[in-house]
Amino acid sequence: MVKVLIYPMTSLILSDMVERFGHQPLGSALSIRERIQTPSIESPPLQISPEEPKKGLRYAAVEVPSGVRGRMAILGPQMEEAEAAIIITDADFAFGCMGCARTNELIKYLVRNRHIPTLELRYPRDEEEGKKFVTALREFLASLGGKKS
Amino acid sequence: MTVPVRIAQLSCGPEYSGIQEEINEAARAVGAEIFHPDIALKDIIRDFDIVGLEVASPDLRLSIARAKALVEGRIEADAVFICTCFRCAEGAIVRNELRRYIHDKSLLPVVSYSFTERTTSGTLLTRMEALTTIARRRALLAREKQEGITLGVDSGSSTTKAIVMKDNVIIGKGWLPTIEVVGSADAAVKAALEEADIQRKDIQAVGTTGYGRYLVGNHLNANLIQEELTVNSKGAVYLSDRQRGTSTVIDIGGMDNKAISVHDGIPGTFTMGGICAGASGRFLEMTAKRLGVDITELGPLAMKGKAVRVPMNSYCIVFGTQSLVNALAAGSTPQDVAAAACHSVAEQVFEQQLQEIEIKEPVIMVGGTSLIEGLVHAMGELLQTRIIVPRYSQYIGAVGSALLASGFIKGE
Amino acid sequence: MKEYRPTHVGTITKYVFVDSPDITPEELALKAYEISQGLMVKETCFGLQVTGKPEEVAKLIRQIREFDPNHIFIKDRGFPPGDPRRCRANLGGARPGFHGHEYEIPLLRYVSYGLEVSPEKSQEPMGVEKRAKLDVQILQRLMESQEP
Repeated sequence: MVKVLIYPMTSLILSDMVERFGHQPLGSALSIRERIQTPSIESPPLQISPEEPKKGLRYAAVEVPSGVRGRMAILGPQMEEAEAAIIITDADFAFGCMGCARTNELIKYLVRNRHIPTLELRYPRDEEEGKKFVTALREFLASLGGKKS
Repeated sequence: MTVPVRIAQLSCGPEYSGIQEEINEAARAVGAEIFHPDIALKDIIRDFDIVGLEVASPDLRLSIARAKALVEGRIEADAVFICTCFRCAEGAIVRNELRRYIHDKSLLPVVSYSFTERTTSGTLLTRMEALTTIARRRALLAREKQEGITLGVDSGSSTTKAIVMKDNVIIGKGWLPTIEVVGSADAAVKAALEEADIQRKDIQAVGTTGYGRYLVGNHLNANLIQEELTVNSKGAVYLSDRQRGTSTVIDIGGMDNKAISVHDGIPGTFTMGGICAGASGRFLEMTAKRLGVDITELGPLAMKGKAVRVPMNSYCIVFGTQSLVNALAAGSTPQDVAAAACHSVAEQVFEQQLQEIEIKEPVIMVGGTSLIEGLVHAMGELLQTRIIVPRYSQYIGAVGSALLASGFIKGE
Repeated sequence: MKEYRPTHVGTITKYVFVDSPDITPEELALKAYEISQGLMVKETCFGLQVTGKPEEVAKLIRQIREFDPNHIFIKDRGFPPGDPRRCRANLGGARPGFHGHEYEIPLLRYVSYGLEVSPEKSQEPMGVEKRAKLDVQILQRLMESQEP
């Protein structure tokens, strides 16, 4: 089983596909869960405190907006843990953790620079594309090793 | 319990900057609640470029579509709070355009803000208070005439002002530096009462505003304790006799500056800035001190000089003062240095704050700094307009408070 | 500053989406309850949410998938179900993540189709289209044709 970063990191489809084909999807839900389940100072709604943008300095300099650094503090560790990645290139309507285009650019850039096995593809727009989409994912995930469903 | 004022939040980034709760808390502190307008994805896809603005960030698209739902009345709100990350260009463009869009297409009061992870509820409080006042007290703010005998006190960060009014006429004034908040207020009130030849017991209603409004308000048992954004707008249009129609009010204060776009005496959009002392009255005070003149002499001195002759390399109060000192050492005249200081303050307010509101003529300058002729002149040059400075402009908050307080005489 | 004491520590929550001609979210929820063995199962408009210890949730999820493998989709959730911080009633509007789901849900049918028909090996997996560079001779012809 390989840890596969999904992009968008909130994607239902990618999360399902990775798990379905026998690997562990790494997405934003895991980071949020960790914060929600860790005792600290109350900072609703996401338990992200003003400390997080400071931790985000690891990924982006201080002149980068706080929202980018805060998101990076949440998403960055997942990215570093990933052994492979799947990127959907036309994910223009993923919100929240994926709501900032600048953060998204940075995540994709950093993932690509890790030189881990990465599959880039688009969302399927019809049944034919659905077939190609699933096939591409199945083959990519199979190539990573681990058991198939 | 009164129904909370519902403030719609249009934003990108506050949850991830760790400051969403600060926003919520500021709203709660003034009896308001923040909500996130409920729309569907189809609304976002249909409306995200409604103002012709193509942005990449999905959360900004969501904000644009939510703004459209508010403007069209599909979602009801009492006020709108727009915020995006400080230093985000895309966010700043959307913030400004949405503010303009909502201002033009609806009567909803709007405030926009760019936050960092250091933003606290305290910095947001006055803005939220102004938003809720505008939403909740439209009837009170509609008052155009002072009635009875009222007292207004403006407990500012630098000075404390008191005004006694009777039947729409100012009859007593008190003005002194703020030292101990309550003590200074008492002294200012005493001076105003003496000039008016009125006893404290004859005062029918009291209003307070400014930084020390709560402390002084409770001390004086005030009928109205109100932030300075709405009070100063009201005072400005009242004293300038521009109560109807649009106007812009600029108040460069001792600690922060206010720029307010006003319609029929009610603020529509406004900004408050207090990040840098170099853009405040304090800088002009320091300049006057360095030049060895009284602050009242700085304005006329500046009018005789030319700002362009003095290189100002920094907006910072420390480095800005250093530039002026260097200029003096290099042979610049005090007149040119005074003019450069005035220009520097005006330019900063122009660049950093006036871009955040709609500038509509007439432009009215109020507050103590409006008496510094050189500053008003510099601002007029930047805005290419003749600026109105009404009589008693330095008492603006106190006059506004006295005016609005008269609404409480009959228990409005 | 208030101290934050988390609830549901050590549990995980998974969303189960169903987009099937054969099974409705209600039916799925009923079937899931029957085999849930005390795990928290919460029905939603799109399917359900399951909360519990990771290994128990994983087991239940495997069983749920069996009901309609090509039409049931599963994803992790950061919050436990019904958390007031994410609840629409408290926020005034849907949490941002909901719109992301709204975007992907209509695409599920294409993925389902893909799952049904996709062979183990294909000749033409779908990737990002790469546009070929314009032939230099064609470019020259185009330029010349534009000259006055």
